[in-house]
Amino acid sequence: MSDATRPEPLVFAPKPADPPPPSSIGAVGWMRANLFSSVPNALLTFLGAWILYVTVAAVLDWALVKAVWEAENRRQCLDMVGRAGACWPGVAAWIPNLIYGLYPKDQAWRIDLGAVLLVAWALPLWLPRVRSKVAIGLCLVLLFPLLASYLFMGGAKGVVWTAAIALGLAAFLWCWLTALAEMRRGISFGALMARLLGARDDARAARIGQASLLALYLVALALVLPLELVEVPTRLWGGLFLTLVISGIGITFSLPAGVLLALGRRSEMPLIRVFCVTFIELFRSVPLITILFMFNTMLPLFLPAGVEVNRLLRAIVAVCLFASAYMAEIVRGGLQAIPKGQYEAAAAMGLGFWQSTGFIILPQALRIMIPSIVGNFIGLFKDTTLVSIIGLFDLLSMSRAVGEDTRWLGLFIEPFFFITMIYFVFCFLMSQYSINLERRLGAGQRR
Amino acid sequence: MKMGVSLLMAAAAMLGLSGAASAQQTLEQVRSRGNLNCQVGLPTPGFYALAANGTWSGMDVDMCRAVAAAIFNDPSKVQYQSVTSAVRFTSLANGESDMLSRTTTWTAVRDGQLGLEFAGVNFYDGQGFVVPRSSGITSARQLDGATVCVLTGTTTELNLADYFRANNMRFTAVTNENVNVLVETYLGGGCDAYTNDKSGLAARRSAFPTPNDHVILPETISKEPLGPVVRHGDNNWGDIVRWVLFGMIEAEEMGVSSANVTQMLQSPNPGIKRLLGTEGNVGQGMGLPADFMVRVLRHVGNYGEVYERNVGANTPIGIPRERSLNALWTNGGILYPMPFR
Repeated sequence: MSDATRPEPLVFAPKPADPPPPSSIGAVGWMRANLFSSVPNALLTFLGAWILYVTVAAVLDWALVKAVWEAENRRQCLDMVGRAGACWPGVAAWIPNLIYGLYPKDQAWRIDLGAVLLVAWALPLWLPRVRSKVAIGLCLVLLFPLLASYLFMGGAKGVVWTAAIALGLAAFLWCWLTALAEMRRGISFGALMARLLGARDDARAARIGQASLLALYLVALALVLPLELVEVPTRLWGGLFLTLVISGIGITFSLPAGVLLALGRRSEMPLIRVFCVTFIELFRSVPLITILFMFNTMLPLFLPAGVEVNRLLRAIVAVCLFASAYMAEIVRGGLQAIPKGQYEAAAAMGLGFWQSTGFIILPQALRIMIPSIVGNFIGLFKDTTLVSIIGLFDLLSMSRAVGEDTRWLGLFIEPFFFITMIYFVFCFLMSQYSINLERRLGAGQRR
Repeated sequence: MKMGVSLLMAAAAMLGLSGAASAQQTLEQVRSRGNLNCQVGLPTPGFYALAANGTWSGMDVDMCRAVAAAIFNDPSKVQYQSVTSAVRFTSLANGESDMLSRTTTWTAVRDGQLGLEFAGVNFYDGQGFVVPRSSGITSARQLDGATVCVLTGTTTELNLADYFRANNMRFTAVTNENVNVLVETYLGGGCDAYTNDKSGLAARRSAFPTPNDHVILPETISKEPLGPVVRHGDNNWGDIVRWVLFGMIEAEEMGVSSANVTQMLQSPNPGIKRLLGTEGNVGQGMGLPADFMVRVLRHVGNYGEVYERNVGANTPIGIPRERSLNALWTNGGILYPMPFR
């Protein structure tokens, strides 16, 4: 008997599973599950689709299909399409003003350069293998304003002012040199210089590092000294530029100030606590518009005659104080969400107040506060439109001016539409970045 | 917010009084600062218009330029401050602006209670209505029960209420701070009539899709004498603004314009000699040079030139001057400059 005749052992071979019914997979399945799962749902879907179609079609029809793209003045637009289509040439003629305000247009490159510098400065924060990110970030927040304010304002610069501008420029150079050194060699700029110059011991390396920083500052000073920019008074600032200046300063100031105020409010030192509580409650219980009014119209009354505080500065200070009061309460909420065990554990490790706050509490608290913080930033960005009431030509009031130009008299929906897009882009980017940040920082918490 | 504004204004007026001693030197402050801080309103065609290239122009802007020309011999030495009408008086009272030139109506309450001083009238305006031609309305008396679009925070709103109350009619007001929003509401059928100063109505109507479908009703329901305003308490500064304005009207009356002012310096006419400072010295008492009107006329022009350039019949605003209140008294209007002597 040969084995060949033996029948194969019966092994259970499952039949391949039937494919799922075509109605439950793919686009059709998704639609059945999500859009048409029941009769009321299906009706709502149709209603929603109809509303979407009607509104989007109407907007597109007005903004693109029936729109006029070339005209000399609004009369021509009206003669062509009446009010059925948008009249874009008016907005196009005003775009430089909407972006730079009344800033002299031959000087507008200074604003562009400032924006490019800001982006270039912040870029190393996202580059891989750069380790001095904290230092670069601090440099950016503290020293960029020095460089930018001269770039934007210009005018005569005294000794102190020149030194400050050079400091800003030197910091910018240092940030990039360090970023490059760390990406290529993995060591900071000072250490790289020390290695290149062949330092024998640590003390000498440190000295070479300091000397190279000094050399960098002197180079910056040499670059800054011959620089002469025409003065552009702040009353000419406006448009998107002004909106970004006010909200940018408000945002960068309010976060640290808010953290300090929140810590102060929880402090056990009565004087500090009373001061913080008073400040927060005072600024939180008064509307921003009233604060702006106070700073703008009442402050000059208390100053001696002839002393003038810049109008823009007054508005910025008002916005900063208001925003930090709100930020303080958000931060306090975050601090309260940290379980007491964390404080006790930090204390048990022997950490002092600043150490436990800086290394244990704040990193956790800030992470959970991101959505509210960014929400506050977005609110602040939009609140800056209120400065139009005290006579600053921000993006909103600049867009109103379009319709008062004799050539484009009455044109106001189009500019509003345009700046709505600008506001949307900025606010949407901010919220997307915050979601991205939450996802990265929350990686350790996800299951 | 309204309440807050009026409170602020009252407080500002009170504090303004305490600062009256220092207010005597507005001219000194302007001189040492090197420019005039002149407050205009949010851009408005014809009076303080902002062009796409960022320059200001208009009747009221020319008033600022004239004062700057009188002081500095340079009409460009003006810093324009564009403020909403809600804060205009506080911004003057607190010393931010040296003068206010922004179609402000001269009223007793403003003159007497807000610490202001009106320096004259550079435009006589009056409030009117515009209605769709299809409505068949031909007189404001037929507006009983109408919905009216009206600018908020100005005398326009008060005049409207007065007129309807005086004529025993009822109305519903649709208010906004932005003229364009009101016009759009009116065009969209949101109100039966749109009311504003007549100087503005004609310009707005010209920007309607079909101007001929709308009529401006014949009634003028209010007196709106518009003019430059200064702070109470610095009489000399008020005199400067007042006499620059009178001088410009006087110059038109005497036939002196920017084109012929140089030849007119040789004129034997004693009136012209006094105006241009070749005889007597009108400016001295005010702290101005004798030839301050020569500066004003050379750089800005006389009243007639300013009018025709900004709101005259050949501009988009197109307000004809003949037989209107804004003609010279010698031509049947009520512009009557006080004697320049």
